[in-house]
Order: sequence, then C-alpha cells, then structure tokens
Amino acid sequence: MAELVGAFGLPHNPHFPSLVRDGAPLAEEVSEMYAKIADGLAAARPDVVLYITSDHYNLFFEALPLFMIGVAESAVGPSDYPSIPQREVAIDSELARHLQRQLVGHDFDVGCLQELTLDHTVIAPLSFIDPDGRFPLVPFFINAFLRPLPSASRCYALGHALRAALAAYPAADRVAVVASGSFSVEIGGPRVFEDAHVGVPDPAWTERVLELLRAADIETLVRESTDEQMAKAGNAAGEVLDWIAMLGMFEPKPPATLDVQPWFGHAYATWPAP
Amino acid sequence: MSVYAINKLCRRVVQEPELRRALSDAPEETLRAARPPLSDSEIELLLAGDVGALARLGTNHFLLHQLARWGLLGLDLPTHGERIRAAFPDQVLRSP
Repeated sequence: MAELVGAFGLPHNPHFPSLVRDGAPLAEEVSEMYAKIADGLAAARPDVVLYITSDHYNLFFEALPLFMIGVAESAVGPSDYPSIPQREVAIDSELARHLQRQLVGHDFDVGCLQELTLDHTVIAPLSFIDPDGRFPLVPFFINAFLRPLPSASRCYALGHALRAALAAYPAADRVAVVASGSFSVEIGGPRVFEDAHVGVPDPAWTERVLELLRAADIETLVRESTDEQMAKAGNAAGEVLDWIAMLGMFEPKPPATLDVQPWFGHAYATWPAP
Repeated sequence: MSVYAINKLCRRVVQEPELRRALSDAPEETLRAARPPLSDSEIELLLAGDVGALARLGTNHFLLHQLARWGLLGLDLPTHGERIRAAFPDQVLRSP
C-alpha cells in the first residue's frame, strides 16, 4: 500500500527560471514561493512524485487524449523552451503502469505514453522544487486546452480513483502529488494585457478559487468550475482541473501554506501529510 | 479555411528547428510545401503576419502566438499582442 505523504499546487510560468537566474525584480518572490514547495516536498520524503499537469500542445495535438500517463523509464525536457536547461527525469514506470491498470479498472479510460518528452509545465517547476533530480516522477496529463475538456467532477473523481490506486499498490512507497497550473490566464489570445501577450481575464475567479481552497470547500470548487467559467477565465484556465484532480486524492483540508501572485492568476500551496 | 492546417504549422514550429529555419529563409516556399496544405488565402495572411485575421477565422490563439515567440513571419510578441488586441478590441484587458 502506497502512502500519500504530501500534496502541492504550483504554477509553471516558463519564464520564471530565467527570471530568477537573471535576478529580475520578481526573482526573490518567485524563489521564496517555490522554496516553500521545495521544503514541503523534502520534508515529505517521497519515493516518487505523481505530477499532474496539462500538455500545451507539445505532446498531443493530432491525437488528443483527455487523460494520459507516462510509463516510460525516463523523459527529457523541456521540449518547448530552450531557455530552460534540458534535463532527463526518471519516471517510476512500475508505479505508472500500476496506476494506469487500476484507473482503467475504475472505469477511467487513461491511455499511456511509452515514450515522451516533458514540456515547461514540468521542467520549469522542477528546476525550483527538485533541481537535483532526487525524486522520480509519474507524469499524468489532463487535457485542459482543447475542448471538450473533462469536467471538474470527472477530474475530482479521478483524484479519488488515484487515491484508491495508491492504496492498492503492493509496495509501501511514499508518494507526493503535485498539481501544476493556473486559475485564470490567457496566452496569445485577445484577452491579454495592453502591453503583453498574456493576461488574467478573470481575477475574481482566481480570488474565488483561493477562497474555496482556504475554506477547504472543494465540493463547491468542483461545482463552480464549469466549462463556461473556465473559458471565461482564459484559454489556459482549464489547468484548475489539475488542481481538482490533486484535491480529490485526500479529505478536504485548508492548505498549510498558500502564496498568491494575483497578477499572474496563480498560486503556490502545500498540504503536508494530507 | 483549413484551421487545422494552420494550427498544425504553429505546433510544428515549436518542435521542429529545421521548419523554423526554413520559414525564416524561404517563408513562401515553406508555407506552400506545408502538409496538410494551406490555401492561397491562408498563405497570404501568414506571410502578412496578420494574426488578427487568422484568429478571427478561428485559428487557435495559443498556437498562433508561437509564430511570434519564435520571431517568424515578421512577428514578435509585442506585435502579436497588438494585432490580436486590434482584432478583438472589446476584449482587451487593462494592465494591472
């Protein structure tokens, strides 16, 4: 029986690694916020990290699964941002294949990637929370970009099924889960700021998500994360589904830490020993 | 309008350095060789860097911005933002 030893939510802005490297004005804040995740992850002492993210058309386009899990032995990335140093990430293939089998057994039609690359949504945060590659990953992908997206309730149920799948694992592994994504963000679309190619179309939604996280009212978060609301919040705002799947893996409780960058529409959260 | 063909081109731009080089060196020839094929009007809009018109035709906005991110077809990110905002003036956000 594998044990969930920590849960974390974070953003994956592809420019943060170079911004910190170059000592830009936001560098200190970004470093400090990621450091809380890194500290929490280290304290959880996981054997493996289940990493829930959403591909940005780097892996999937011609064929577009709603749910997919990486079962290769390792993967290289990032595939999309040369400014982030390339690295090879070990994958716990055995656990990944177990999770896929168990999820399919729970009626979740999850496909598998026997060969894959990783994009900035994985590699950028890893450069802060696990720069030395201490933890093997199990990468899990939820379609948050090209509609139709899976529903929030389906993703929450997916989290429940992942929890049950961990409980059915023969080895006593310590597993942490990380959800990667923002709540309100538009990239390259019309709802961008006057001087940028990105924007935060619905800051009120970001505030609402944070309010519900603080209140541990996940049922309401699931109910309010409608397709219409996610579309209103930006063309990348479906990433809240990654968080909802992660939140489905443990009983609702307020995060121990919650740091917010509202002008990016995202947050950093930790749930130790959930 | 084969939106899929334009989206596919933008996606390939991220993953294929040789395509980026070809688009820089011989943009029209490269666009005419694209598969799935692009129509004459699509090629015209792409060569003009008219991302506003392409977006209004239904091209995926996220994928479209990849042309500017890689500095192709006369685009850069500020230009992309300017043209997208001009195409959808009612949706522009005020900067914080």
